[in-house]
Amino acid sequence: MSYRVRDDSGYAVVELTGEVDLSCSPEARSAILSCLKDTRNVLVDLSRVTYIDSSGVASLVEGYQTAKKKKLKFGLVGVSGAALNVLKLARLDKVFPIHDTVAARVKADG
Amino acid sequence: MGGGMTQARTRLEQRLEVLAEVIQSFAASLDLRETLRHAIATFIEYMDAEAASIFLLEKEETELVCQQCAGPVDIAGLRIPAHQGIVGKTVREQRCQMVRDVQKEAAFMAAVDADTGFVTRSILCAPLTVRGQHIGALELINKKSGDGLFDSEDEHILIALAAAAALAIHNARIAEALVEQERMRKELELVREVQVNLLPRIAEGALPVVAVNFPAREVSGDFYDYFALPDGRIHFNLADVSGKGMNTALWMAKTGGLLRCLAKTTPDLSALVAKVNDEICETASHGMFVTLVAGALDPRDDTLTLVNAGHLPVLYRSRTGEFREIEAQGPPVGVLPGAEFPIARLALDGGSLYLYTDGVTEALDEEGRALETAGLMALIKRYAGLNPRARLEELVGAVRRMGQKQRDDITLMLVDRRVGAAMANPLLEMRFRSDPADLKEVRQRVREAVVRSGCGGELADSLVLAVNEACMNVMQHAYRGDCSGEIILEILNNGRELEFEVRDFAAPVDIGSIKPRALDEVRPGGLGTHFIQTIMDDWVYGHLPAECGNYLKMKKKIG
Repeated sequence: MSYRVRDDSGYAVVELTGEVDLSCSPEARSAILSCLKDTRNVLVDLSRVTYIDSSGVASLVEGYQTAKKKKLKFGLVGVSGAALNVLKLARLDKVFPIHDTVAARVKADG
Repeated sequence: MGGGMTQARTRLEQRLEVLAEVIQSFAASLDLRETLRHAIATFIEYMDAEAASIFLLEKEETELVCQQCAGPVDIAGLRIPAHQGIVGKTVREQRCQMVRDVQKEAAFMAAVDADTGFVTRSILCAPLTVRGQHIGALELINKKSGDGLFDSEDEHILIALAAAAALAIHNARIAEALVEQERMRKELELVREVQVNLLPRIAEGALPVVAVNFPAREVSGDFYDYFALPDGRIHFNLADVSGKGMNTALWMAKTGGLLRCLAKTTPDLSALVAKVNDEICETASHGMFVTLVAGALDPRDDTLTLVNAGHLPVLYRSRTGEFREIEAQGPPVGVLPGAEFPIARLALDGGSLYLYTDGVTEALDEEGRALETAGLMALIKRYAGLNPRARLEELVGAVRRMGQKQRDDITLMLVDRRVGAAMANPLLEMRFRSDPADLKEVRQRVREAVVRSGCGGELADSLVLAVNEACMNVMQHAYRGDCSGEIILEILNNGRELEFEVRDFAAPVDIGSIKPRALDEVRPGGLGTHFIQTIMDDWVYGHLPAECGNYLKMKKKIG
């Protein structure tokens, strides 16, 4: 897995690429949490994620909860089919705000 | 008068200060020699003595040895019988001795003075005692000032010093013992690691042999080995080296090495064991010997050849349930140079051959009764229906559960053509470390295996996910993040369903704690078991026999 963080329309967009498993989910987790720590709204871009396991999902859940506590915005964008199946399995597909693109999210924010 | 009192108090205060200082330095030191050296120098100065010495009991309390001394004559290392002299009397009577005229004291050993030229006028000697146990005595000789004689005030202070010194000696000895114990433990761990590496590391099922070894202590005197010979036969051996401990372990390594090396060039078993015997006889220390069984199975005609060198009978159980014992025909290896080792022949013919060490047959139940060969036969009969690996594990589990603490190494080998049959065509068998970095390869191979069995698309994805979660659980909860543990993954296809088994060798986990969590609550963690439950048709966790690890079996219907 690799990741990068870019700024887009007032969000820190954390782009994860590749397989998010136990060997790298701590890295994904700290990338997400450090953006939130800097009081930035966060979107996690999962469009290039080819695999995600429960430890990766747990990192997303933790980001979601931390954002809620800090009253920051959080969501997922461009969720790949592989990632969506796992989110469905965890019944989190209805919990996370999910949009196709950052623009779609910004539009939904109003 | 007043001046005298002040002077006396000052002297007492001074002495109390010294006492406090010495006791403190005792408390701080864990090095025995250093403690004693420092103490003696302080005693002699502040007790105003001409000489001082510390004697400790040695050689099962028959001798008193001077460990440290100070004064004009060096008597360090002096040994006296424990009952002799003022020191001996102090230790024997367990009370302080004050001698103000040595010439009138019967216990005084004039010989030491005569040897050294030293003139002893008076002695003050206090016993060293810890928790009622006598360890030696602390002796002062000749007061330098005044009339040269010790008085009752000196006696009180010496008694206090002796109590502190005794405690310090005791502490230093415990510290030394702990350091030694720790060193031994580390060495034994290393030896065990080497031993485990000496055991065969062939993928299970590749040869018709399964075996286990459970040492009673860190180091085992038993060993086994099996491997394919260049002529196509399968060699196997099992042995028990006499004695216990490190020496035994070294002989185990040597004997095992000789057998492995020579078996490949010496097809005749009788000649092989004779060669090993001659080599061991030549080099073994007195009283060392090895009982062993060496055998070869020819898979082409199912014939077995066996040499039993002074070992327990080998048990053969035919497929119809009759037992046959193959008794020792030769002496143990390492006893008789030039000894001969006759060969026994039989056909495996669908039966099973059991080789074991006395840790199995001499295991005791709660009433102290040994299992014996008859008991082992009864157990073999009870578990006869199981596949060889399961049978071996149940047998060892039963022996280890018999009641009393394991006293001897338990080693058991089973030669059976059905080894591996239960795992006919495993789709995948892989071993890997409990390191998350290995998960990527595991997923890759699981995907290939399930795709080979006809599962594709989302089903393959979800099976890969479930197996990945199972392995993650082992890494996080069984091995608790330790990346050096071993995990075995097997996938079988029995035609109707895929069976996935993940085994680890960590401490048994609390099975009750493994359950999927409710999903109503949004929180990180605990999702893995939910994934497994949702994806698989059936799953079960358990402990491996003899508490040596855990397994998770999962099943998924296919086709």
